[in-house]
Amino acid sequence: MNYTKQIQDIAAKLFAEGKIDVFVGYRLNGFDDNQVPVLITDPQDVCKLVFTDKSVFNLVNYLKTDHTRRKRVGLVVKGCDSRSLNLMLTESQVKRENLYVVGICCEGVVDDAGQKMQNCTECVVPDAVVYDELLGTSGRDGSGRDGSGRDGSGRDGSQTHPYTVNVDIAALAEKPLTERTAYFEEVFENCIRCNACRHSCPLCYCAKCCIDQETATLYNGANTTSAAFHALMTWSLHLAGRCVDCRNCEKACPSHLPLHLLHKQNESVIYENFQEHLAGVIPDDRGAFYKYSLKDPDDFIM
Amino acid sequence: METEVKDQLVSIEKPELVAPPNWEPVIMGILCNWCSYAGSDLTGTSRIQYPPNIRIIRVPCSSRVDPWFLIKSLQTTADGVLVSGCHPGDCHYITGNYFARRRFLVTKKLLNFVGFHENRIQFSWVSAAEGPKFAKVVNKVTEDIKKLGPLHLYKKENFDKK
Repeated sequence: MNYTKQIQDIAAKLFAEGKIDVFVGYRLNGFDDNQVPVLITDPQDVCKLVFTDKSVFNLVNYLKTDHTRRKRVGLVVKGCDSRSLNLMLTESQVKRENLYVVGICCEGVVDDAGQKMQNCTECVVPDAVVYDELLGTSGRDGSGRDGSGRDGSGRDGSQTHPYTVNVDIAALAEKPLTERTAYFEEVFENCIRCNACRHSCPLCYCAKCCIDQETATLYNGANTTSAAFHALMTWSLHLAGRCVDCRNCEKACPSHLPLHLLHKQNESVIYENFQEHLAGVIPDDRGAFYKYSLKDPDDFIM
Repeated sequence: METEVKDQLVSIEKPELVAPPNWEPVIMGILCNWCSYAGSDLTGTSRIQYPPNIRIIRVPCSSRVDPWFLIKSLQTTADGVLVSGCHPGDCHYITGNYFARRRFLVTKKLLNFVGFHENRIQFSWVSAAEGPKFAKVVNKVTEDIKKLGPLHLYKKENFDKK
C-alpha cells in the first residue's frame, strides 16, 4: 500500500486550483521509516507527503485544531478515519463543503514491530466511506461503495458486515471476577493521567472537558489510580456507541495501556443487545445512545 | 442479624479485605421524581418498613442519570447503587427511560467488566403506586450487597491520602 505519488499530485493540484488552504497528511519523521502527521500550507512542501502502511495516525483529529478550523482543508482518510469524520460531520463539528477528502481503500497499517495492527486484522470497513476522491481498489468484499456509506445494494454497514467479538474481550470475559479486578487495577495504576488518549481522539472535541471541571469531578487533576479510573471510565462511556476503533488513543498512550478493551467491551454489549455496531458508517447516524427501541432488553431491571 | 455471626465477611472483589464487625452497606438510591420517588413516599406513608441503608437522591427522570453519577457514587461512600425510574411507557417525558435503559445496560456491563460485581449496580422500575414493590426492591438490593461485602475498589480516600 503506497499512495505517496497520488497524494502528492492531488495536494499539488488542489493548491494550484486554490481549493484548499491547508492539507493534512503524513510525512516521514526524519529518523526512521515511521511517520508523523503534517499540516501543509505552502504548495512547495507538498513533496514531503507520504502514504504507506506506516501511516497509522487518524488525521481527522487535526480538524479540531485552530490550524484547520474555518479553513478549507484537504485530508487523507483511511476506512476507520473516515468513519470518525462521518461522526464529526453528523455532530456538526466540521462542514463538509470546507473539506476535500482523499479516501483510501486501506489494506491495514502496521505497528512499530512491523506487525499488522489488531484492529486492522479485525477491520470490516477498510474503505473510506466519505470521500471526494478514492485511491486504491474499492471493496475488499466487492460491495463497491459510492461515498454515501451505503453499498451498491443500499444496505448499510451493519447489515453487510458480520460482527466478531474482539479476542481480548472474549478472553477477559471468561476470567473470574477477582482476576479481572486485579488486571484492571494494574491498568489504571499505570495511567499517568496525561490525557493523551483524550487529545488524540477525534471524537473528544469538547472545548472544556468535563474531567477538567473543578467542581464537577471528584479529582481535580489528581494523578492516582482512582483518578485514572474515574477519568478513563467517563471517557469510555462518553465514546460508547461512537468509537470507530481507530486506536489513535492506544498509539498516543505513553504507558501503552490496553485502552481498546474499554471501547470494545462497550461495542460488544451494544451489538449483542441493540444489534448496532460500526459507528459512523451511515451518514446522520448518531450512535446507539441517541435512539432507542421498544424491544431493548429489560431483564436486568427489577 | 445473621450476617454478624458469620465468621468473616470479605469484599467479593478483594477477598483479602475483611469487613469490620457490624458493617452495614451504604446504598445510593437515585430515584425519578415522577414514579419511584413518589413510590418510595407511598412506602413510607403506608408504614412499610425498608432498610435504612439506602440514601435517596431525587432526579427529574431516569434519563437524567449520567453514568458518571454511578461511578462517582461507587468511588465515594457507596457500596452499591440502585437506580429506579418509571416503567417503560410511563415516563413523564414520554421516552426518557427508553434512552436511560440503554445507558444503564452498557454502564452495568462495563463496570462489571473492569471488576465490580454485577449486583453492585442495580436498576428497577417502580411506579408511584408500587409502595410495597419499592420496599421489596430495597430489601433485595440491601441483601445482595450485604453478601458482597464492602466495596474497596478505586475509592477516593484510599488513594488520595498517600
